[in-house]
Amino acid sequence: MVPDDADLAGLQLVFWLDGLPLGRCEVAADDLPLSTATLASLASEAVAPAIGYRLFARGFEAPMPALEPELRPPSDATALLACEHPLAAVRERLAGTDVALEAGGSAAEVSVVVCTRDRPEALARCLESLRAAQPRPREILVVDNAPTSDATHRSVAAMPDVRYVRESRPGLSIARNTGVRETTGAIIAFTDDDAVVDPHWIARLAGPFTARDVMAVTGIVFPGALESEAQRMAEDRLWGFAQEFRRRVFDGRYFARMRGRGVPVWHIGAGANMAIRREAFSRVGLFDERLGAGAAGCSEDSELWYRLLAEGWRCVYEPAAAVSHFHRDDLDSLRAQWHAYMRGHVVALLVQFARYRDWGNLRRIALQLPFFYLVWLHDVFRRGVRTEGLLWWAAVSGSAAGVGFYLRHRGTPPVA
Amino acid sequence: MSSRPLTETRFRLATIDLARPLPSITLANDETGVGLTIRLDGQPIGFLLRDLPPGAMLAPDAVGRLLGPGERLALLEERIRRELWVTAGPPAAVPSLTAVVCTHDRPVLLARCLESLVVLRARGVERTPALEILVVDNAPSDGATRNVAARFPDVRYLCEPISGLDFARNRALQEATGDFVAYFDDDVTVDPGWLEGFVEACSAHPDAAAVTGPVLPLELATRAQVEFERLGGFRHDFRKTRFGVTLAGNETYPCGAGIFGAGCNMALRRDAVRSIGGFDEALDTGARLPGGGDLDIFYRLVRAGYVIVSEPRCLVLHQHRRTHEELRRQLWTWGLGFMAFLAKSYRADPTQRGKFRQLLAWWFVSKARLLAGRIVGREAPTVDLILAELAGGAVGLCGEYGRSCRRIERRRRAPTRQRVLGSGGA
Repeated sequence: MVPDDADLAGLQLVFWLDGLPLGRCEVAADDLPLSTATLASLASEAVAPAIGYRLFARGFEAPMPALEPELRPPSDATALLACEHPLAAVRERLAGTDVALEAGGSAAEVSVVVCTRDRPEALARCLESLRAAQPRPREILVVDNAPTSDATHRSVAAMPDVRYVRESRPGLSIARNTGVRETTGAIIAFTDDDAVVDPHWIARLAGPFTARDVMAVTGIVFPGALESEAQRMAEDRLWGFAQEFRRRVFDGRYFARMRGRGVPVWHIGAGANMAIRREAFSRVGLFDERLGAGAAGCSEDSELWYRLLAEGWRCVYEPAAAVSHFHRDDLDSLRAQWHAYMRGHVVALLVQFARYRDWGNLRRIALQLPFFYLVWLHDVFRRGVRTEGLLWWAAVSGSAAGVGFYLRHRGTPPVA
Repeated sequence: MSSRPLTETRFRLATIDLARPLPSITLANDETGVGLTIRLDGQPIGFLLRDLPPGAMLAPDAVGRLLGPGERLALLEERIRRELWVTAGPPAAVPSLTAVVCTHDRPVLLARCLESLVVLRARGVERTPALEILVVDNAPSDGATRNVAARFPDVRYLCEPISGLDFARNRALQEATGDFVAYFDDDVTVDPGWLEGFVEACSAHPDAAAVTGPVLPLELATRAQVEFERLGGFRHDFRKTRFGVTLAGNETYPCGAGIFGAGCNMALRRDAVRSIGGFDEALDTGARLPGGGDLDIFYRLVRAGYVIVSEPRCLVLHQHRRTHEELRRQLWTWGLGFMAFLAKSYRADPTQRGKFRQLLAWWFVSKARLLAGRIVGREAPTVDLILAELAGGAVGLCGEYGRSCRRIERRRRAPTRQRVLGSGGA
């Protein structure tokens, strides 16, 4: 591989096998070009955990977020020793049946909801990727959230297989709830207007729902572009936590083990790449309209997962379902986004505490977050106050604003 | 704690090759565990230590269950790598190689090391130039080393009168004829597959300026030797890694120079090392500052833009210190050598100071944690080892490098001794 761009800082490589993402790594521009031998070493190191998990599962499980891996008695190594060509073995398994289809997932049950606001170009790119998906979903619905012009409407009208609904009350949670009401599929998949989906996305996201007690499925989020400093920072700090290429199952047991420390539901996935079983909304309610972009900030997705886990249901992270998200590419909007994220995060913790009286949520606000900010402050001085310091302040002030926001909206019912 | 009964510790060393049916392993009645080298088609991919009851008998499937998550992942990784990349034949010109053993008054160890090198030379590798073997006798007190070298046909012998390992290494750099100089300590034996590994590394990375490899124990016959392996041993890195300008996920790269390799097993491109001024003779000087030279040469090579490649097949086996006192001194040496390197580089390479500060903090914190763990776990017999390393580190930080520079200047000026190379780019 040879760089063709003079101001290239580096490469992020994602390794795929027959349409299945298996690992990634980064290479700095200074170390280009890469020889095939080096690439083979990097690739094998990156994909081995996911390959092992696909072939043998046991012994290759992904560690659960914030939990020490469980020590289990060593299993028999015979099958592993006999497997001389692991990549060929995975390809053989994939041949003919798709990952999701082998599990019996049904795309015909999936309604896709894309909430948008005044971003017709980005939305068109997203819808194109959805219309190219195979198999096709049951329906694609665009929820136009408090638009300031009819540009979105006009752009969607040109696509006959995409439905359009206008929701004039602003707020991502409100728009998503409207999407839930306006669709009919047993599974509702959500992506963002600034994302594009992988052609297999719908089928793979639907796959884990064959288990009756799975109420939510999330997938992996890749960066659509890493062109600017802001995009790279957003990837490193805000989005980069989904680096795992092995399936994770979050269940009541995980919830119980983490309850005292605060269940890190934000590790389950991202709202830009998730699906919820319709039944879940009737069991635990819709998205909390105090949360989400346009209101407190984010975390409307993770707060719903919190309720699902607390009620004993399961959430599955399935990295075979891939979405690429185009992060903001200027630092000002990254800071604004971060401010909103931390505000939403704190509000969600308070909402979760109010609902279930799990003290771990308060512990996170009172202990973990301040400690995190202190450690980060040390980084601020190392990396430079101008970018890092402003980001730090955006997060800290966002967290503080979250407490105020919650107190002001305490009385508001979660779903209007 | 001295009250703890001093049970004899003695581990069986065994090798399994995962490409072949697993053997069964039976321990003798005085063996209390196993040190298992794991290979795949001859290539080392892992090493593990397990306590076992004396006389234990492990059937093949029980041997398979010894493999932990790390070893299993390494196996899978290596098989995937082979699926992705089929070894190309050696390139038109494989660099020629001089194997150098710098030694000081240890004729018995030297003889064993030379025997393994002669085996290596006899095996050879297709289309590669013959291996030159060179012994550098460093400030000998008698003729024993010269006599040992004379016993082996086609082994060149040189005497470097100025005492200090890096004087000897620099002398070898001048006198060797190979494109690469492979430095081995006299207390190692070289694995018969070493040369194949070297040729493969050079074929895959024609621009490599250094090739390093893992270091495993030659014996685990005493408690001190087992304890040394438990503390991480010399170098258990079985990945094929190309160390360039950056290393993904390593914030202090390239300042934590221990990752590159170990001085008892390193092949360096002669013209590259000469272009950066050779070894720093103020490091590895013997009694007062017996380490750091390897870290320093790796670091300066990478900072000068050269590439270091680690190749698992370039394996050597090292005779670890047998007694606890010797082991303690070795760990003191490591702390001292590392911190002397750090103090020197901090001054010499201002752009990297932030990383060195980070590394310094990390080093002391991790040693303190280790110490706390050992105290809580009541593993008192090893507490002094960690304390020794910490103490060595403290001495290294407090100006030992500067004192060493002044000491070697006196050695250089001593009459009838001639200077060898530059001062090592300090």
